[in-house]
Amino acid sequence: MPIDCKAKCGNRASLKRPKTGDALCKACFFAAFEAEIHHTITTSKLFRPGEKVAVAASGGKDSTVLAHVLKLLNERHNYGLDLMLLSIDEGITGYRDDSLETVKQNRDDYQMPLKILSYEELYGWTMDRIVAQIGRSNNCTFCGVFRRQALDRGAKLLGVDSIATGHNADDIAETVLMNILRGDTARLRRCTDIRTGGGEDSIPRVKPLKYSYEKEIVMYAHYKKLVYFSTECVFAPNAYRGHARAFLKDLEKVRPSVIMDIIYSGEQLRFKDTVKKPVRGNCERCGFVSSQQPCKACVLLEGLNRGLPKLGIGKKSKGDRMIAKQNQELALRERANLVKNDF
Amino acid sequence: MCSIGEDEFGDEGGTHAMLPGCSATGMVFSAGICSKCDQNSLQLYKLNFRSAECRECFLKYVRHKFRAALGAAKVLPRNAEILLVIDGSSESLVLLDMVHFAQTQNTFKRLHCNARVLYIDARCSPIEEEESLLLALNGLKRRYEPFEFYVIQLDGDPQSLQLLKDYTPRQLDSILDKFNSSTSRQDYMQQKRKFLIGVVAEKLKCSYVFEPSISVTLATQLLTSVALGRGASVALDVALLDDRLMGDVKLLRPLKDLNDQEVQFYVHAQELQAFRVDAPSHYPLSGGCLQNLTRDFVDNLQLNYASTVSTVFRTGDKIAPKRNSIETQASHCALCQSLLDDEISDTLLAIEYSRAVSEVGVELHIKSSCDVLEQRVLERLNERAELCHACRNIQAELSSGTLI
Repeated sequence: MPIDCKAKCGNRASLKRPKTGDALCKACFFAAFEAEIHHTITTSKLFRPGEKVAVAASGGKDSTVLAHVLKLLNERHNYGLDLMLLSIDEGITGYRDDSLETVKQNRDDYQMPLKILSYEELYGWTMDRIVAQIGRSNNCTFCGVFRRQALDRGAKLLGVDSIATGHNADDIAETVLMNILRGDTARLRRCTDIRTGGGEDSIPRVKPLKYSYEKEIVMYAHYKKLVYFSTECVFAPNAYRGHARAFLKDLEKVRPSVIMDIIYSGEQLRFKDTVKKPVRGNCERCGFVSSQQPCKACVLLEGLNRGLPKLGIGKKSKGDRMIAKQNQELALRERANLVKNDF
Repeated sequence: MCSIGEDEFGDEGGTHAMLPGCSATGMVFSAGICSKCDQNSLQLYKLNFRSAECRECFLKYVRHKFRAALGAAKVLPRNAEILLVIDGSSESLVLLDMVHFAQTQNTFKRLHCNARVLYIDARCSPIEEEESLLLALNGLKRRYEPFEFYVIQLDGDPQSLQLLKDYTPRQLDSILDKFNSSTSRQDYMQQKRKFLIGVVAEKLKCSYVFEPSISVTLATQLLTSVALGRGASVALDVALLDDRLMGDVKLLRPLKDLNDQEVQFYVHAQELQAFRVDAPSHYPLSGGCLQNLTRDFVDNLQLNYASTVSTVFRTGDKIAPKRNSIETQASHCALCQSLLDDEISDTLLAIEYSRAVSEVGVELHIKSSCDVLEQRVLERLNERAELCHACRNIQAELSSGTLI
């Protein structure tokens, strides 16, 4: 039996909102979805008029919807924002090269300037080469750490006031669960923040989709016929994250509001004074924001360049021992060369 | 885009804890020499990461954990009146046995306190398993003389508290049938239990309550509370000391450092018999519920990634209870007694906004509709201001009547 739209607009409902279970017509769903993001932006004061904002674009559903909605709301509510797209090319053949084509399509569709930065030009390494060195395990660590810094570098280059990322409510709830499973209090403190960074030297990152459900994002992209790239990365899906994700999806089936409840819980967590807090500073090598010296990106890069790709993986003391051992071997070889030359 | 390593996933963190195969199952050997006392023993107990030991050395070790939890925190004054809550589970029987043993020691080692035992009867129909329950409780009473045993029904008022020998259950006229989801029913039952424990403790003039939670139950509780939106009070849900009960009653969890294996070995060593009959399976289930899913998830972790469970448990130890600033008058949730928010959180606003926004639909493009909506959202948030967010969720899933 056909059901009427809950908003009493006179139309038949054509979908069930995953977030609330309400039956809505397409037009009312679009209006509700966009209004929620507008509400998030205004109540959290994410942007100021005249600001230059880079949308971190991967070509996937989240960033495509984010770019689309930000452009739409910017025009509808006169935010006065100067929007642009910022993409990172990790150098993954068969994945990133294809998704960048989608981003280029977005650039043309939304009339936004696009800047693409590659790992190759920033670090002298592509992910393909990194995976050839390190193998299929731990490669996501390189990719993630480098991308985070690459976005900072790109934002600095473009001179933007903030970076908008496509993290959605599911991502954040999942992160809260993951950080509890890992006992990572430092990240647990900040993972629910809608705005991170933004100190003296760093460019803030904002998450306008913080309260948008992944299912609704997919639905919005589908019904709006947005062009997005939906293939999974060709390099190993992360088993660790998979645990938290599968658990969250099970919970969501039973009670859809669980995603928002977990975010709320994450925000309410307080930690004992005895729990160590990370001190944010700048890396003495590259100058970018980091809570350790040198930053993770520099350690990983040093490992790759030294031919010790495992250097930044695991404990720091283990890495230090690896460097000491390599230095000792180099010194021995040099001494041997000297002896040889003497004769 | 793969988001691992981004923002929150910068490095490996505790990934080592997720490596499978960390758990080597311990076992009870038939005979051998105890590595502690070097005596020949008929049965040896081999816990994970400990060498095999005889029954006496094992019991001494586990009992020390219980005493150390109380001693190190210095929370229990001499000659305190204690209410010991049992639910028939293995861990509750272990706690009862340990408290009884601690009282039979010589003056120097004796735990100086007076204990009473409370059993909360949560059965749907009193006829079910009537005999086995009373048999088990009377058996415990005989074994643990001179403890006084009390029973109360879950929906009862404090006046209906009875001594075990006088206990005659009546048909429950329960609110429990009125919940639309088993998640809310279980959450309500848990809060109601806690409320009852506080009331009974006050009635029996006990200032302390012992609850038999062990590390794995607390890890489950931590994740469940987070999933239910109880982040603000989760620290007290898993701490050694929970001071949210009625009056000045304090709830203690002295078994919090024990693991499942230690409990199972203790049950074996002391020949205890669990008799849990109050499982909420008596009520019709509409699909799964958050609590059971979380328990299954943690059980699975325990099986495959045992060290992750202890990481979760230790994360709970790092969380501090939320306290309001001194200037504002603290107000508490009428059901769970947790501290209420002193200001409206953006996330709660977003949750209510989501619920309201579908009712307006395309009219959202009109500015006046947006203003009306904002107003409606704030009104809804203030409607049940005496309840915390999670208890408001319980209320919302109650088909008729109110929680309070």
